[in-house]
Amino acid sequence: MSELTLLILQLAFLALLWVFIFIVVYAMRSDLFGQRVRKLKDAAPAAAGVAAAGAPGAASAGAGAGAAASVAPAAPAPQTPAPKVPTFVPAPGTELSGPPHATTSNASRLVITSGAKSGSEIPLGNEPLTIGRSSDSSVVIRDDYTSTHHARLMIWGDEWVIQDLDSTNGTFLDGQRVSAPVHIPLNTPIRIGATSFELRR
Amino acid sequence: MTNGAVTNGGPTATTDAPTPTPGRGIRRIRVPQKLRNLELFLLLFVCAVNAFAVVLVQFGALGYADMTVFTLGAGLAVLVLGLHVALRFVATNADPFILPIAALLNGIGIAIIYRIDIAEKLTGWESTAVRQVVWSGLAIALALVVILVIRNHRVLQRYTYLAMLVAAILLLLPMLPVIGQEINGARVWIHFGGFSFQPGEVAKIALAVFFAGYLVSRRDSLSMVGTKFLGLRFPRARDLGPILVLWALSMAIIIFQRDLGTALLYFGLFVVMIYVATGRASWVVLGVGLFLAGAVIAGQVLVYVNDRFTNWLDAFNPAIYDAQGGSYQLVQGLFGLANGGLIGTGLGEGRPDITPLAQSDYVIASIGEELGLAGMFAILALYLLFISRGFRISFAGQDDFGRLLGVGLSFTVALQCFIVIGGVTRVIPLTGLTAPFMAAGGSSLVANWIIVALLLRLSDTVRNQPRLVI
Repeated sequence: MSELTLLILQLAFLALLWVFIFIVVYAMRSDLFGQRVRKLKDAAPAAAGVAAAGAPGAASAGAGAGAAASVAPAAPAPQTPAPKVPTFVPAPGTELSGPPHATTSNASRLVITSGAKSGSEIPLGNEPLTIGRSSDSSVVIRDDYTSTHHARLMIWGDEWVIQDLDSTNGTFLDGQRVSAPVHIPLNTPIRIGATSFELRR
Repeated sequence: MTNGAVTNGGPTATTDAPTPTPGRGIRRIRVPQKLRNLELFLLLFVCAVNAFAVVLVQFGALGYADMTVFTLGAGLAVLVLGLHVALRFVATNADPFILPIAALLNGIGIAIIYRIDIAEKLTGWESTAVRQVVWSGLAIALALVVILVIRNHRVLQRYTYLAMLVAAILLLLPMLPVIGQEINGARVWIHFGGFSFQPGEVAKIALAVFFAGYLVSRRDSLSMVGTKFLGLRFPRARDLGPILVLWALSMAIIIFQRDLGTALLYFGLFVVMIYVATGRASWVVLGVGLFLAGAVIAGQVLVYVNDRFTNWLDAFNPAIYDAQGGSYQLVQGLFGLANGGLIGTGLGEGRPDITPLAQSDYVIASIGEELGLAGMFAILALYLLFISRGFRISFAGQDDFGRLLGVGLSFTVALQCFIVIGGVTRVIPLTGLTAPFMAAGGSSLVANWIIVALLLRLSDTVRNQPRLVI
């Protein structure tokens, strides 16, 4: 083994150590900088990344005082965006003229609007949620009307869809019982037992 | 798409999105284990780096490579991959970074210990590296047992006071007449059969469990009331009990077991946990003040503490350097670090064996010499990532006990790194603690791998818990 070979091997070893460290740091970057905010392609850039700006529900009205500077240009209420996944035909009963569908980019939180925990909210990520009485659900609802595995929120393409898991007492989207997976419009109440919630920006 | 649930609702959707499973009947959805796959990738990388390190040591020190790489490198690789496979079944959502980082630190430790073995011509069961691999096996097996037995960290809260008792017994064991053993002046070992064990290392875990359980139930009285003085809200005199007991305990360790590092570790652990539990800086002020006062008094009264201070402050004085129990070791370590320079002498090509205890207390100096500043910072970055993961897991937790336990466990690793690396690099007086995962020594390995197991378990429960319970 010549000096030079050993030196090169030594440098290679040090480089490997640092490569490992950078792989780890790269893999955990979402911890450091938060979830990556996706660029919005359609005309509804209203407040996807600025959920923290604190204009709940009616943000589309455009008068959010605090965040007006950053949100203002996009303030006009977004019209229903053209479905980006043309292969999916929404189930009947979903009105196209209503509020826009909740997508991973325009819905940022799930807000409980009635029931015991009314007012609390959980941030929506890019992962599906399960709802039910069992403790392995993402949202556990313990009342007399909820089934063990009651319903779930899934992402099809990038749009939020609710599916009833054959629950006893049913899942109601805007007052209509959900029998097949349906798209969830923004700001529309979904009722499970005594609890209602909405997906909001 | 033969999905009964969808056909009901009009035209069938054909998307590439995950197809919904039928609502009827419970079928287990097979979720790709993204976290575990990332962990596997990192582990394979780590095993390659570890094997590379052993080969480099052989090239540098012997000039050839033989089959040792299989006994040393592959031994650890099999163990950690075994733990990884177990995690796929029992802790699917555990953090993917903790295990690879611990494995890398352990592997580099084994390589550097093997390097000292070569210099001291130790082979077979005499070889510290071989014993280190065996200890790693035992430690990883214990970690697996911990993961299997503790399916939810909250059960530990039930054993708050039992944990205190266990910690007390473990701390007292070395003081017992027959099995207690004094090595290099410190009475912290127990000795039976052919090997010795340092029970204080494991006691720190029991203490963390006890502090977490105790502080969760008491923190209101510790944080709410008190008088304001100099802008800080100080606790009432009657709430000072716990911190005074802990202070007395660490002073007792300094006096009777003659172990500065362990005392500092326990006391620091308590101060940090009480600070995290109450959020009041006055506890830190009180704690640091108490410890400094205790250390100064001990420095005046106890000869060995005084010697440590002199060795630290006046290390390069020839009289102290040559004295029995003087600063020879400290200065040799510094010379070694200086010899390493920016990129090190190369694995197997330095002379780290000149420093006494180059495999255990001074393993950091050995690494600094052979891998240089670049390698040393890599090791420090690994520790930093490990500890930050621990804090991150605790931060994401939802129950206070788990949060405190996570902070406590990660902080013991952090504080231990600070005490030992600070001692070697002459930032603080030198005390005999081991660098977590790297230094030769079974008790330290066992304790730190149990910490790994608990953090993995914590991170798994954190990810599995419901996001909202109504």
